Amino acid sequence: MKVHVKVVFYASLREKYKVREVSVECDGTIKNLVEKMSEIIGIDIVDDIYDRYKEKIRENLMFMINGRNIKDLGEDIELKDGDVISIFPPLAGG
Amino acid sequence: MTSSSNGFMGKILRADLSAGTLKVENTSLEVARKYLGGKGYSVYLLYQYLREYISKGVHPSEIDPLGPENILIFSTGPGTGVPGFPSSGRYHVMALRSPLTGSIGSANSGGEWGPYLKFSGFDMIIVEGVSDRPVYLSIVEGEAELRDAGDLWGKNVFDTCRILRDRVGGKNTSVACIGPAGENLVHMACIVNDEHRAAGRTGLGAVMGSKGLKAVVVSGSREVQVADPERFREVSRRCLEAMRKNPVTGQGLPTYGTSILINVINTAGGLPYKNWRTGVNPDAEKISGETLAGTYLVDRRACWGCPIGCGRITSVKSGPFQVLSSEGPEYESIWALGSSTGVKELDAIVKANHYCDEFGLDPISTGSTIAAAMELNEEGCIPKGDLQGLDLRFGNPSALVEAVWRTAYRAGFGKYLALGSKRLCEIYGRPELSMSVKGLEMPAYDPRAIKGIGLNYATANRGGCHVTGYTVSPEVLGIPEKIDPLKPEGKAMWTKTFQDFTCVVNSTVNCLFTTFALGVRDYADLLSAVTGWSLTEGEVLRIGERIYNLERMILNRLGFDGKDDTLPRRLLEEPMPEGPARGHIVELEKMKEEYYKLRGWINGVPTKEKIKELEIEI
Repeated sequence: MKVHVKVVFYASLREKYKVREVSVECDGTIKNLVEKMSEIIGIDIVDDIYDRYKEKIRENLMFMINGRNIKDLGEDIELKDGDVISIFPPLAGG
Repeated sequence: MTSSSNGFMGKILRADLSAGTLKVENTSLEVARKYLGGKGYSVYLLYQYLREYISKGVHPSEIDPLGPENILIFSTGPGTGVPGFPSSGRYHVMALRSPLTGSIGSANSGGEWGPYLKFSGFDMIIVEGVSDRPVYLSIVEGEAELRDAGDLWGKNVFDTCRILRDRVGGKNTSVACIGPAGENLVHMACIVNDEHRAAGRTGLGAVMGSKGLKAVVVSGSREVQVADPERFREVSRRCLEAMRKNPVTGQGLPTYGTSILINVINTAGGLPYKNWRTGVNPDAEKISGETLAGTYLVDRRACWGCPIGCGRITSVKSGPFQVLSSEGPEYESIWALGSSTGVKELDAIVKANHYCDEFGLDPISTGSTIAAAMELNEEGCIPKGDLQGLDLRFGNPSALVEAVWRTAYRAGFGKYLALGSKRLCEIYGRPELSMSVKGLEMPAYDPRAIKGIGLNYATANRGGCHVTGYTVSPEVLGIPEKIDPLKPEGKAMWTKTFQDFTCVVNSTVNCLFTTFALGVRDYADLLSAVTGWSLTEGEVLRIGERIYNLERMILNRLGFDGKDDTLPRRLLEEPMPEGPARGHIVELEKMKEEYYKLRGWINGVPTKEKIKELEIEI
């Protein structure tokens, strides 16, 4: 089954890929989402956001699904139709 | 102590403005060993003043924040101005009572002023009394003098900084001053140094104004010596390398500054919008760091000795909100002047922020007070006559900019805004619309979406403040590790630890942003090498805890206790209407109970056992 999600890039990721957001069709897994994203904006995005050895999103990123950080959502995440994915590089402020 | 081989210059200047006298005293190593410098040493001194007042039969509540009894302290710490001590270009200011809150006044600033105070020969300045005419304090190469400021009174921050810097001359010369807001005793007036750096919170500019003290200019060429230069070089190299390699301090903050947080916090559902009606701003992208970088950003600026350089230089080249050169706005000022007021025009926010610097206003309390006024107005609570034509509606950029200068000059409706949101909302019969804690307007994180910061706001000694215990770091940013922002569990420990550690940072005195890369061990090593004391991680945190408790004891004597450790009703009772935190409120009581237990406090008051355990002499 295919799901359609929106991926929004921020800060240096937006600057590097010169894109604010893309619509992606994937099978609902994070791994497939990253693969499909790379077909749209380029292969570099895989290493920028994904740890191939651990098969998970890189630790220092803020990868949010509908505003919730993936690290707070537990294992076995299944994306749903209409989900909004927000990806931030390591950032801080105050 | 007169030696300067341990991070301290060894001298404190005591200025009695009522008598017009200046006295030089030695910095006490004994006090410094227990409280470091900066905030810790100041808290110790303020407690002594309070004790003396009480012994003379003066009830603490009788101390007028804008009267001669109030005490104002400018302070540096052992790390300030030490070359190689990461981001040590800061100073701390405290007052016994804030005019905004009635509680303790406390604020911190960067730039160059802190190090240059030390280069002029002093660790701290204590200001007592009230001058009968405007004066400024000049400290040049160890010589302090009170001078007439009649020609400076009425001038804005930029003119005052420029005139005094030119008058004194020299290489390491810096000016901390007040603008019209401080002179007019506006309750959220701040102290500004180096044109755009401010000890912003709790209205310390009004305290300075009430004393008739327009400015403090410092200049000098003395060097700060460290106890163990070889060890310090090694630790410094390690820490600077850690900061350079850290993705936040080495890349994120230098490249984008603090405003890059707008989209992060909005995505997490915690960016307060329209006086905290919700935590999701539909126009966040328009006022974001990304947008600022692509529009009005010109360059970056670093404080003294800082490898991060998060400061932004901006310019709005044309249009109704033209500003040819400014600094900021930062994340907090964009939020307070923009998101909180519903204003989505970034050029108007840059202009409003510029006015805050020019007139000497805290942008957080100013923006939040204007936002509260907008809600009061939209609820029909403000008679048209009071507004005098000011069209205070959410999202009105012109009204925002006009309201800022009106606040500084107490002009028209500005006389109400100048009192801060708490008094403003009380005057118009809707106290619950003031989004403040202990009278201090809360900053840019809605705790319904970030629970730990709610506990911190409620228990922060100076009132609604984020940098007392910045739990946003683990809750949203994942630093040093990720915890769930929507769960109240475990937040008490994080809050307490961050509050204690921040006391250490503010007593060192250096920048809190270093803690994105450096931990307690780094601070213990840096401080040990500079002071010559052998400080363990445990001892460093214990010093922080001691400072936090003594500060709390001052609050208690001023009449604050557990009843004041709370949040506005909106956050406790109105569920977040949308976003990832939809349906959430702040479960404050649950977190607070755990927090008090960890602190060893009963109803917001340190127990005798805790005071004894921390070796606080009362």
